[in-house]
Amino acid sequence: MMAISETADVGSRNMDEKAKPRFSSDLPQVWIGMAFIAVTGFVPSLLGNSYWVHTFQLVNIYIAAAIFQNFLFVDAGQKSFGQGVILGLGAYVTAIFFGLHDYPFVMAAGLGLGAAALGGLLFALPALRVQYFHLGFVTLSAAIVFPQLLMSLDRWTNGINGISVQMEALHHETLFGLTPLTIIVALYPMLALWVHYFIRRSQLGRQMRVAAVSPEGARSLGIKPGYMRFTAFVIAAIGTGICGVLYLPTVSFVSPQGFNVELSFVFFFAVVVGGRGQMLGPIIGIWIVFILPNIALAQFVEYRLLIYGFLTLLTVILFPDGVVGSIERWRSKRGVTGRGEQAFRVDSFLDRLKGGKPVEPTDEIVVEVRGGTKKFGEVVAVDNADLKVRKGEIHGLIGANGSGKTSLLNVLSGLSRLNSGSFVINGREATRMAADRIANMGIGRTFQTPRIYPQFSLWDNLKVGIDARTGEPNDDIVRLAEALEKEFREDSAALLSHGQRRLVEVMRTVLKEASIILFDEPAAGLSQSERANFSKLVRFLSRQLGKTIILVEHDLDLVWGIADTITVMEQGRIVASGTPDTVAKDPAVQHMFVGGRRA
Amino acid sequence: MLLEITVIAVRGIAIGSIFAMIAMSFNIVHGATGILNFAQGNMLVLGGFAAFFLANQVELGWWLLMLPVAGLLVAALVALQGWVTLLPLRSSVEQDSWIISTVSVSVILGAAVLITQGPFAYTVESVVPSFRILGVRTPGAYALAIGCMIFWYIAMRLFLKKTFIGLAISALSQDFDAARAAGLPVRRLQIIAFAISGLMVGTAGFLVAPVISISSDAGLRYILNGFVAAVVGGIGSNLGTLIGGPLVGVVGMLTAYKIGGAYQDLASLLLLIAILMLRPQGLFGRSSARRV
Amino acid sequence: MLEVNNLNAGYGIVPVLEDISLTAKSGEILLIGGENGAGKSTLMRAVAGFNKPTAGEVLLEGKPLQGMAPEAIAKEGLRLVFDGHRVFPELSVFDNLRMGAAARRGDREGFDKAVEEIYSVFPILKERHRQYARDLSGGQQQMLALGQAFVAQPKVLLCDEPSMGLAQALLPPILAFLRNWAETGTAVVIVEQHLQVTAPYADRAMIIERGKVRFSCPAAELDTRLKEMETAEADA
Repeated sequence: MMAISETADVGSRNMDEKAKPRFSSDLPQVWIGMAFIAVTGFVPSLLGNSYWVHTFQLVNIYIAAAIFQNFLFVDAGQKSFGQGVILGLGAYVTAIFFGLHDYPFVMAAGLGLGAAALGGLLFALPALRVQYFHLGFVTLSAAIVFPQLLMSLDRWTNGINGISVQMEALHHETLFGLTPLTIIVALYPMLALWVHYFIRRSQLGRQMRVAAVSPEGARSLGIKPGYMRFTAFVIAAIGTGICGVLYLPTVSFVSPQGFNVELSFVFFFAVVVGGRGQMLGPIIGIWIVFILPNIALAQFVEYRLLIYGFLTLLTVILFPDGVVGSIERWRSKRGVTGRGEQAFRVDSFLDRLKGGKPVEPTDEIVVEVRGGTKKFGEVVAVDNADLKVRKGEIHGLIGANGSGKTSLLNVLSGLSRLNSGSFVINGREATRMAADRIANMGIGRTFQTPRIYPQFSLWDNLKVGIDARTGEPNDDIVRLAEALEKEFREDSAALLSHGQRRLVEVMRTVLKEASIILFDEPAAGLSQSERANFSKLVRFLSRQLGKTIILVEHDLDLVWGIADTITVMEQGRIVASGTPDTVAKDPAVQHMFVGGRRA
Repeated sequence: MLLEITVIAVRGIAIGSIFAMIAMSFNIVHGATGILNFAQGNMLVLGGFAAFFLANQVELGWWLLMLPVAGLLVAALVALQGWVTLLPLRSSVEQDSWIISTVSVSVILGAAVLITQGPFAYTVESVVPSFRILGVRTPGAYALAIGCMIFWYIAMRLFLKKTFIGLAISALSQDFDAARAAGLPVRRLQIIAFAISGLMVGTAGFLVAPVISISSDAGLRYILNGFVAAVVGGIGSNLGTLIGGPLVGVVGMLTAYKIGGAYQDLASLLLLIAILMLRPQGLFGRSSARRV
Repeated sequence: MLEVNNLNAGYGIVPVLEDISLTAKSGEILLIGGENGAGKSTLMRAVAGFNKPTAGEVLLEGKPLQGMAPEAIAKEGLRLVFDGHRVFPELSVFDNLRMGAAARRGDREGFDKAVEEIYSVFPILKERHRQYARDLSGGQQQMLALGQAFVAQPKVLLCDEPSMGLAQALLPPILAFLRNWAETGTAVVIVEQHLQVTAPYADRAMIIERGKVRFSCPAAELDTRLKEMETAEADA
């Protein structure tokens, strides 16, 4: 076994766990948020101030809606300007069945919730096809159209007159002057905070954020970005729909004017002003955006839209992280310290995995491309290529810029599709498989720019590899994961150097237990010593863990140093393939070396 | 029957011309900056307000004089907005920021109008008399709308093909890095693109003031329909807007006549969703809207 | 004319260049070679302002350029021509040349003269001056890209892989054009893979390896130096 663990053992570094500042402040923020909501929700009742009781009932419902907007915006990356519509659907449909048709409240509320969820599905539908500003316009349009529909469908909605409801039971004062309604509408945003928190910490939440930041990165981990968006819209719609149901007893009245575009803007702007992605953001945001103009500046109530607009514009231009985000940035700058060159090393951890005896490549073919052709418009990127990769070997793929190496790699990982020809992975026809299915067949890959998610801790960056597993991890992997978690739970991934980021990606594929790993120019940007270490690591993956490696790389020294087989591409065609020695002598390859080296 | 078809066609195409101009004003800014200005509809309404305050019930000569004034006022405002919007983009690559800032400018403009002018719809008297097409009395401003659209289409074509600044703005949208390497003053060109888009909707709003609703909340409706027109034609294609705008206008009119005026925006929304699901790049668009 | 001292640069946090220094003198061609991925293009982009250098300086006639925007650097008289014959595809050939004048506006006479010169060197551009640049062949596009730089009459020209995507036979006329251009007093830097073809046109040469300068020498000695390097590596 080669000496991959030449540096100090982990234990000897003796990092004091307690001394490490927290990477994520989500949990404390949730607790502070709970306290804020409890104070504003309950104290006015204890003081017997009915004006503030009522105001904060509504504020707390809006906070809950903004929490789901925050989730949708940041965790799922979906910019919706139409969450007011979802709330309105919940409120209006409940009001129609409860107020106009005398259904029992629970049943009416169920129908309202169903309508809200349906609204979420309708938003999600275009989100499967388009992204970016298109989705913003679709949801904004929905927010414009919704009140118009409430007016014109007056046969069902009572039009401009709206619907009044009486729900005395919820307004009866009990202990300390608290009514059941006060308690419910204070508990709900607290619940929403926890829901957001737990989704974010879950596998689903991590995969959602990965899909939001880097769709192709997500697909290479077996995640379907469309499915993630869809799920996010539905979760947000149900959460916001409940806000709508609670709106009804709180305001006792619904009318089209209550659900115009302004309401959707309030939720969106609250998230931006409060701090995108911060747990406390929606609370502070609603306080600033909604309470400030409506209550503190009550004499200027007609100026409220102007105030929303200016607050948001100033936030975007002056401190784009929002109020809570700016505080959080200051905290993390102060608290989180990088560990420099030692911030992330893999050698000592991988030692835990080394099995018994070294593995040698076998003659079994695990990847085979037959007559593969990939065109981009007129340009033929891959031209009738045949490629065979043996199990356990390190297969170098080299060639000039634009010779089709990365295109071929993208085809193999399913990110783009062959125009003709076919390929087989592990004996299964994979030509037309989607990237996530190929990923689930045991393929892992790295990208030219390492996919690192700075909003995750270093450990969570690795954990997305575990999330991508299809089977139960073996004992070795469990032990490795435990060690990594202990070490890197509170570390920031944003401070890692490029070389370390590359290693994080590699470790991710190890945790995923990919049997075939595709590397896309892994050595670019690595220093001399990092290259040497990387070579050892690839060797280790192949010879100790038995993984098959396909390596697209410009550094010919590195490739010749470790590859078992080398394939040379030129203008989309495969011009040579064989052992390093035979390929080096191939005249078709000579010009790749400066000054005819290695001839 | 024929009467009804004529009414729907004439009004639809005329109102659609306004949407087409908003779409064209999107295109020039989007080409130069990648930004879609959510406040563009409000800018059109401001053009209408300019007509109300500067040129309501006036002589033709004064009206003609005020037309460029209105256009330049709105152009200056949009240029300022563009400068503000591009500020945070200078330092970061944050792509959410322009969506948020243009939406908030849209809200600010709507609110400013509401505060200063109240929630009323203002009417402007037409300088151009109404006329008859196939026996249907048609307001003169409808002809102005169509004429204005054709004028701006031709003007943009000439500007982008013949003038140095226009060519430079096209170059910017074709290859941003190569434009910078050639030493084109990127930021200044982007602001100019914003200003031109303002000039376009400012003059359009001024000319069609007699037939549009000039009120605080009208801006959002125009932005919606203008965007649908742009998407139908294909974002970036001015030729596409000549089809997309009138198409959206006619669909809206048809809806208004057959179902009810309150359902016009719903029809546009459904058209938008249908196009995005079936042909996201639009009728004439090349770049795909899909980014999955 | 151009002096680059201890330049460090990369993409985002990816370091590519380490302590690169070079000088380009007016009237001379400097040839920069190296394998794929050695950092040649990154060097060009960093000097022209597209990547912010993390350390080091770029001096044009003694004036520091590092940290300036690319368009401002172009105005100062340092012009980069990208690899891959990038032109504005939807503009006509003549309009592409007009865009080149952005860095020297107001000099109508000089522009006309420069365009005439380009047309006489590459008559095909004159023949097709009204056609869209997208309809030109790759070689013609490369001529156009160089012509666009030529009308700006920069003090320093950086030319990134003029051969990329072209047939080998097209390279000599392009190199001859660059040679003549340099002799009018412009400092020319060419990044090229095809060293054998390019070296005869160059005055000095420099080889970059993994983001560092491996060696520099007069262009005439390049062949010998490469052979030496090869032997040294074979021994190692």
